[in-house]
Amino acid sequence: MKKKSLFKRITGSREFLLAIIVVVMFAIVSFVSPSFFTFKSVTDMLKNNAVAMVMALGMLCVMLVGGIDISITSTLALSGMAVGMLLKYNFIHNTFLCFVIAIVIGTVCGFLVGLVISRAAVPPIIATMGFMYIFRALGYLISNGGEWAGAAALGNFKNFATTKLLGMSLVIWVIIVCYVFFFFFMKWTRTGRKIYAVGSNAEAAEVSGINVKNIKLLVHTIMGLLAGLAGALQVSVYASAMPDMQQGGEMDVIAACVIGGVSMSGGRGTVIGTLFGAIIMAMIPKALPLLRIDALWQNMIKGVLILVVVVVNVVLQRIADRNALKGREM
Amino acid sequence: MAGKSGRTINNVPVNPLKKIIFSWEGILILVVILINLFCARFSEFYNASSLLRQMPVYLAEVFLMLPMAFILVMGEIDISVGSIACLSATMAVIVSNAGAPFILVILTALAVGAACGAVNGFILTRFPELPPMIVTLATQIIFRGIAEIVLGSGGSVQAANQAGFKALTANLSIGGTINERGRKVGALNFPLVLFLVVIFAVIFAIILGKSVFGRRVYAIGTNRLTAFYSGIQVQKIRFVIYTTMGFMAGLCALFLLSVSYGANTTTGQGFEMDAIAMAVFGGISSTGGKGNLAGGIISAFIIVCLRVGLGQKNVHAQVILLILGALLIVAVALPNIIGEIRKAARVRK
Repeated sequence: MKKKSLFKRITGSREFLLAIIVVVMFAIVSFVSPSFFTFKSVTDMLKNNAVAMVMALGMLCVMLVGGIDISITSTLALSGMAVGMLLKYNFIHNTFLCFVIAIVIGTVCGFLVGLVISRAAVPPIIATMGFMYIFRALGYLISNGGEWAGAAALGNFKNFATTKLLGMSLVIWVIIVCYVFFFFFMKWTRTGRKIYAVGSNAEAAEVSGINVKNIKLLVHTIMGLLAGLAGALQVSVYASAMPDMQQGGEMDVIAACVIGGVSMSGGRGTVIGTLFGAIIMAMIPKALPLLRIDALWQNMIKGVLILVVVVVNVVLQRIADRNALKGREM
Repeated sequence: MAGKSGRTINNVPVNPLKKIIFSWEGILILVVILINLFCARFSEFYNASSLLRQMPVYLAEVFLMLPMAFILVMGEIDISVGSIACLSATMAVIVSNAGAPFILVILTALAVGAACGAVNGFILTRFPELPPMIVTLATQIIFRGIAEIVLGSGGSVQAANQAGFKALTANLSIGGTINERGRKVGALNFPLVLFLVVIFAVIFAIILGKSVFGRRVYAIGTNRLTAFYSGIQVQKIRFVIYTTMGFMAGLCALFLLSVSYGANTTTGQGFEMDAIAMAVFGGISSTGGKGNLAGGIISAFIIVCLRVGLGQKNVHAQVILLILGALLIVAVALPNIIGEIRKAARVRK
């Protein structure tokens, strides 16, 4: 009996498993190429994936209520492009104001998506698909039909990514603040618990007095807010704004959540798991060249990894179910 | 009679004419007429022959919509089809460049597509607990990843021998008169791909609407567990449909090649969304069990006409996508909002 409980504890705690995977991956890559495990290399890796890491938190919220959002990178392009164009044509210079504008645009976009999903009962995949087209096209339109805002046009704004606070780039601090905030928000606030409640059983949540529609509206607004923030981060990290940035990147964000153990049907998933999922997704492109694997294999390996993770998850779940039944028979 | 589309269950016989006009398909036919009138006013080049000439570029996606309708009716989704089209286009060009006869090229494209679809089907039927969205997300990345590896660092491949692909763009002239100089004028050139689309559309619509197989698909989409307990081999049907989806993606890839004569890493990107958009705009619910292919086919032609018409005046592709996105959301949201209002009105009474 003791053995079973230990087994159950290990399979039960997904974060523990993910942490082991991350540590093993770190160990292997550092062993082959010691330059990987340096402070600079790790922070660079995080900085280059800041966009996906921040948006993964919003995707966690959306997937927790059983939804999905594939419009996020279009929101990112719209808000990033807006900031880029405002800077290019000298309307604003203040970095802080840029962030506020990007976040406001993202929040409005997310609110619209949430409104359509929660009030008009449109299935999330369809609604966000429509908005994916709309926001991307709007981003293109405000760029005067495909203009770029290059590094020269961005002025002081691009320095945000290179400014350091306590030895770390401000971008890393943004990621840390987001993850710490969401860790507390999801675990210890009433609203956070309501999101879990809606995801586990929407009807039960409705009966116990939770306004399910408002929660759905809220998670999409949060998603939009983070996508707007990610838009500003994208522009400052890559020091350029173009209307087709991060096209297709939403799949990486979803993949990070799925690897992190967020269930597609809602109710299951944690901030810690999402963090590890996002780190694993960030490590693949960084680690492959160090392991002397051609960059062409990157996508193939990413896809296989997602598939392996979800299949292993199902197999473990089946074993757990079978063991539970066995226990009942005895 | 239960509505064929599964939209209404009503014992009171309704006037058939009224039923057609007020059904979603009736509204869509109205939209077709409106779109064509709009395009004709918007662009002076828009007429039957220019429409037929420019159609083939957009028609390839309709091949994807047909099996996608089956998958949506089952309440599932397949977002890997664009990548399957990319992989099979890549393979077809490579086989063609190796000097194989064109029939072998066709077979390669179809076989690669069907094999990819079978991989999807195998994983999904072996692990039925897995959401199709996640599995096809992974295979979407994998199939395009394989294509990237095959294409190598250049990222694209061009067909050296284009004769075979050109044959796919053949036209069939109908009507017209021969003028005094012996040239044919006023003929409508129907492209081969249009015939194929119509033939496949009729076959798929009959299978979904009239056959036992189609009724079983609706049963699975309405309630999978009930369908299973009624003796429907749910997993077998899912496998067949996902394999067909891959096969049609291979066919789509062939017609993409007949336009571009080459493949690159972005071939077919976003096609899955276009196919889903066509089906959903045609009234096929993504939650399963609702809609029929007639709506999907009409909506496919709406989108094709819109693209041709706006494309003629150099409206940018992004603006067309903006209109499509807005149409899609309105098409799905409107019936729900009207339903809510009606319900509220009934409660007040």
